[in-house]
Amino acid sequence: MRLRVACAAVPALIGLVVAGAAAPLFWRGGSLNLAEAAALRDAGEAVRLIASGADPNATYPLRPGILAAESLTPLEAAVGARRAEMVELLMLHGAKVDLAGWRRLNCFAQKTGATDVVTTLDHFAPATARASCEGISTPF
Amino acid sequence: MPAPRLTVYACAAVLAAAVSYGLLRMPLQLHDAVEEIMAADRSPGVWASFTSTIGETAYFRPLRIAETKLLFDLSGGHYFAAYKTFHIALLVAAFALFVALLPIETWTDAAAALFALTVFAGLHTFLGLVREAFPINHFLQVAVLVLVAVHLSRARPRTAVDVAANIAFVLACLTLESGVLVWVAAVASRLAGRRGISDRGLVAMTALLAAYGVVRFMVLAPHVQAMANASGYFFERLEGPEIRARFGAGLSRFSVYNVLASIATVLFSEPRGGVFVFFRALSLAAVPPRMWINIVSSTLTTLLIGVAVSRRTERRGPFGSAVLIFAAVLVASAAASFAYAKDEIMSAAGVFYALVAFWAVRELLARNLHRAAAALVSVLLLVAGSGWAIRTIGVAHVLRTQAFTVRNDWAEIPEAMEKRGTWPTEPSTQQLVLRLRDGALRMPVVNPWFIPRWADRVFDGDYF
Repeated sequence: MRLRVACAAVPALIGLVVAGAAAPLFWRGGSLNLAEAAALRDAGEAVRLIASGADPNATYPLRPGILAAESLTPLEAAVGARRAEMVELLMLHGAKVDLAGWRRLNCFAQKTGATDVVTTLDHFAPATARASCEGISTPF
Repeated sequence: MPAPRLTVYACAAVLAAAVSYGLLRMPLQLHDAVEEIMAADRSPGVWASFTSTIGETAYFRPLRIAETKLLFDLSGGHYFAAYKTFHIALLVAAFALFVALLPIETWTDAAAALFALTVFAGLHTFLGLVREAFPINHFLQVAVLVLVAVHLSRARPRTAVDVAANIAFVLACLTLESGVLVWVAAVASRLAGRRGISDRGLVAMTALLAAYGVVRFMVLAPHVQAMANASGYFFERLEGPEIRARFGAGLSRFSVYNVLASIATVLFSEPRGGVFVFFRALSLAAVPPRMWINIVSSTLTTLLIGVAVSRRTERRGPFGSAVLIFAAVLVASAAASFAYAKDEIMSAAGVFYALVAFWAVRELLARNLHRAAAALVSVLLLVAGSGWAIRTIGVAHVLRTQAFTVRNDWAEIPEAMEKRGTWPTEPSTQQLVLRLRDGALRMPVVNPWFIPRWADRVFDGDYF
């Protein structure tokens, strides 16, 4: 009988103690910069950072394992991560692209194969933009 | 207080505190909640909110709307604090009422109670009580009121108990359609020999039920017919119009499927929302560990309950009562799911499943068994208990994932509401929504990138 009681109680006790006492550990994360937030689908953090004064057009370092680049702008990170909705969000919150920048992003998006990102970028294309990617270098 | 009971109460308190902590780390929900808060802002008073939706929508939940308004007014502008406090109060009440139903005198009782506590919190229907709030979680409110009714049925019979039971019934029915479960639990308790709610009290409650039925299914019948929620059907998920096109508008084999699927989801954790996710994954040879954990822990526990029920010597008594109440709540909840299968609708049944699990495990622990049978029961308890422990731990994972999703939803405000045409025209309501958004965005949540990859495979999550 003791064995049965132990088999019923011990896993439950461990589960309850871990679920209870260790709960705050589940809520530990890390801070992200704007480019990392853009790459990691963190729209909430991206908007919060911009509202706190982060520059949506600056270049930020990326932690290893997020994207195959050491530093990117938030827009480049969003395109590299194939996040069309993030591109739109950044554009709505102050990100700017000139003709050269747009071509670079457009070619980058084409290279990643994300057609929805290409379509989203098209909405923000400068009037004189051309689709040719000849001679354009991309982040990766 | 005996040490075994104290131990269980302490564990329940710690678990309730942990889940409450998760609720506090989650921003107020946007979808299905901000419209309610905006309506509360516009409403001139609680009574106006109470009457505002009667006959206007497919649902009859005036008390939920009134509560939203009451909390809004009482909050003094601290909306997050008000709605979260209410959610946590309901959660703590649910834990307290559940544990108080367990007679814990010995360490054997305590072992069964700890097992039941992990079933209570680990079953997927529990997630429906904590993952969302609109901004009030009406499923949790109904579960609490059903537990109150069961407690009242065990009380010393007196007029105050009858009055309290009928008030609980009215509150539950005006909160959510599943509120009729209060009547179901009260009648089942009476059939099980509990006389706390008198026959007179039950007659009064039955009369109230009849009145509710007339209002809900005759006066508001056209709106009931208009209900068209998405639901699962074997391996696929169907949208409302698809369901109507395939099965028609009335009762059909789809209704029968929903009822059976809803019963099965409590007993076996499968299907989920009407979709057989485990067997779908099995057919693709890609079953993640979490599905094995869910289905094995639930099936073994149902098996243990079945064995304990079939071998119990006394037909009546607390175990028999618990089984009868569970069966009644399970069947009634499943019947209420005839239009669409939704795990949240089964959340009250999930609570009573955990209660029956307590009695079954207690019976199997206390009974003298042959060595082989004892060894088998030990192994089954160990495997099932380990599964429930993992599922209980996984509640925090589900909440933090939900927190990330909810916060991201707010990031698209006001643009998304402008696109949908739901952005308010009144400047004061616009300011209110923007305040809610800013509050949500200020809350630190965990990006999934910081969560180990195995967590998504081991702990439960969304299937659709």
